Amino acid sequence: MTTARPDRLRSPTVPRPDEIRAPSLPAAPGRRPRDAGTGFGTLGLIALMTLAAMALPLVVTDSYLLHSCIVVLFFAYMATAWNFVCGYVGQLSIGHAMFAGIGGYATVLLFTGLGLSPWLGMPVGGLLAALLSVVVGYPTFRLRGPYFALTTIAFAEMIRIWVENTDTVLGIPLNGAAGLTVPLRGESLAALQFNGKAPYYWVIVGLLAGALTATWWLEHSKLGFYLKAIRGDRDAAESLGISPARYQLVALAISAFMTGIGGGFYAQFFRYVNAERLIGVDLSIDMALMSIIGGQGTVFGPLLGAVLLAPLAEITRGHLGGSLLGLHIVVYGIILMLAVLYLPKGLIAPLRSLLARLGLLGRGGRR
Amino acid sequence: MSPLLDVRGIAKRFGGLQAVGDLSFQLEAGEILALLGPNGAGKTTAFNMIAGYTRPDSGEILFQGRNIARARPWTICRAGIARTFQLSKPFADLTVIENLMVGGFARSRDASAIRDKAEAIADFLGMGRQADTEVQHLTAFDRRKLELGRALSTEPVLLLMDEVVAGATPAEGQEMVALVRRIRDRGVTILIVEHVMKVIMALSERVIVMESGRLIADGAPRDVVNQPEVLKAYFGEQYAAARA
Repeated sequence: MTTARPDRLRSPTVPRPDEIRAPSLPAAPGRRPRDAGTGFGTLGLIALMTLAAMALPLVVTDSYLLHSCIVVLFFAYMATAWNFVCGYVGQLSIGHAMFAGIGGYATVLLFTGLGLSPWLGMPVGGLLAALLSVVVGYPTFRLRGPYFALTTIAFAEMIRIWVENTDTVLGIPLNGAAGLTVPLRGESLAALQFNGKAPYYWVIVGLLAGALTATWWLEHSKLGFYLKAIRGDRDAAESLGISPARYQLVALAISAFMTGIGGGFYAQFFRYVNAERLIGVDLSIDMALMSIIGGQGTVFGPLLGAVLLAPLAEITRGHLGGSLLGLHIVVYGIILMLAVLYLPKGLIAPLRSLLARLGLLGRGGRR
Repeated sequence: MSPLLDVRGIAKRFGGLQAVGDLSFQLEAGEILALLGPNGAGKTTAFNMIAGYTRPDSGEILFQGRNIARARPWTICRAGIARTFQLSKPFADLTVIENLMVGGFARSRDASAIRDKAEAIADFLGMGRQADTEVQHLTAFDRRKLELGRALSTEPVLLLMDEVVAGATPAEGQEMVALVRRIRDRGVTILIVEHVMKVIMALSERVIVMESGRLIADGAPRDVVNQPEVLKAYFGEQYAAARA
């Protein structure tokens, strides 16, 4: 041990103060090509899909089919909103429906009580949902482990049970388990009420396009990098200047805002809200499962999951539901098990590599 | 001129164990200071107190004259102190470049400029060709280098390194030593916790030695390794007595 010679010992060279701050690293010799335009490719794809989807009602006139499309896109929107925080930060929320519930009830109550147009009621409902998300997230994001998942489900169920058993609160009619109906105003853009299905369809396509664009933005933003870092390793993230609680809370608030607006849309489309459907755990699980099976932490994964699972639920419920009650849950469970076992990154993963092999995605086409 | 880092009497107790008791030392700008000590001497606890991962029970840690004792890790990072982990903790499902970009957001909001810097760091590490590789496909040593690069991406004034060459082959160890030297030459002050004597001899002008939570030696590596207290801490009473 004492024989080691400090032959490479050198006197310390104290740098000039202006050198200390930013160690100017050597410039890269020969720039690598950037990810072949992945970013704008994704945005372009969103725009293209939106335009194509907008044109659908010109071809499809069957009311039931259009209704089903709206339901599928509603789930796609909700799953995308869920994915915005949970997919990127790797936390499981099984209570996201509470944000939808707040949004839906707020939209209806603001319309019936104050005559406020749902166009304003939905974002107000979204803000209230974001506020609730801060109440839920603030104490739980400081903790590590499964506490967030447990807290979300507990909060959501508390709110559902409370609403189901409350007829009025502070003079505001909640109408308990029976729920609230939206009074009919006939064809009215201001009241977001239409006789046909097509206008609702266009609204949900617009909402979905907005949610996908927000997710695309997240992928490239500081917030997105920070969430992925927290998902990867919380200690390492902290060492890189990231306060996990703070950035998770910001993402959760944005996600809750989007979910709240979705709840408002649900209320307008069905002209009815009740606690079981809109705050209940079923909707929360749908949002989570569609994201996870489709591919969480990606822009299009939740959309893919919803497009595959929502019709499946409709079919099993509609055609087999009478004889085999709850079969769709069994089917969900089997698909979830298969996905977790064989495609842990979601169904989007093989699709993506297939597209890449066909040359339809650039070299960096990881989205 | 006041020292860059001035540790003043920090102490930490875990239940019945006084992990660090009244530890004081100073670090000048431009230095590579090695922190030595046998297992359980309190090196990692001291390291974690400076990095903000463990809150000292008492004492002050002045960094550029500002007390950072009991500050949170992200605040300490933004103040200009970066750290590596003994077991490298990469973001496994991100690419090398993405890993190197995360820290850049602490200094800038311009994603394009941050990517340029990340590419420069990848080249600096000799990992330019792996820029778009997902980190889970890297070798253990490349992950370790990446860990170092990721710390650099936050543009630190002071870099805390926990065991740079653990598990590396001799050739890899040499590469790492050269890398650490080049980082110092770029104006980053370095505090390093290390076991491998060869590395310490090659890198540092000054070492401090801890034993049972206290400082027992401070000086040039050659002098320190011959001090009776140090020999006693590493090899026991009898060995030290036999040499005396």
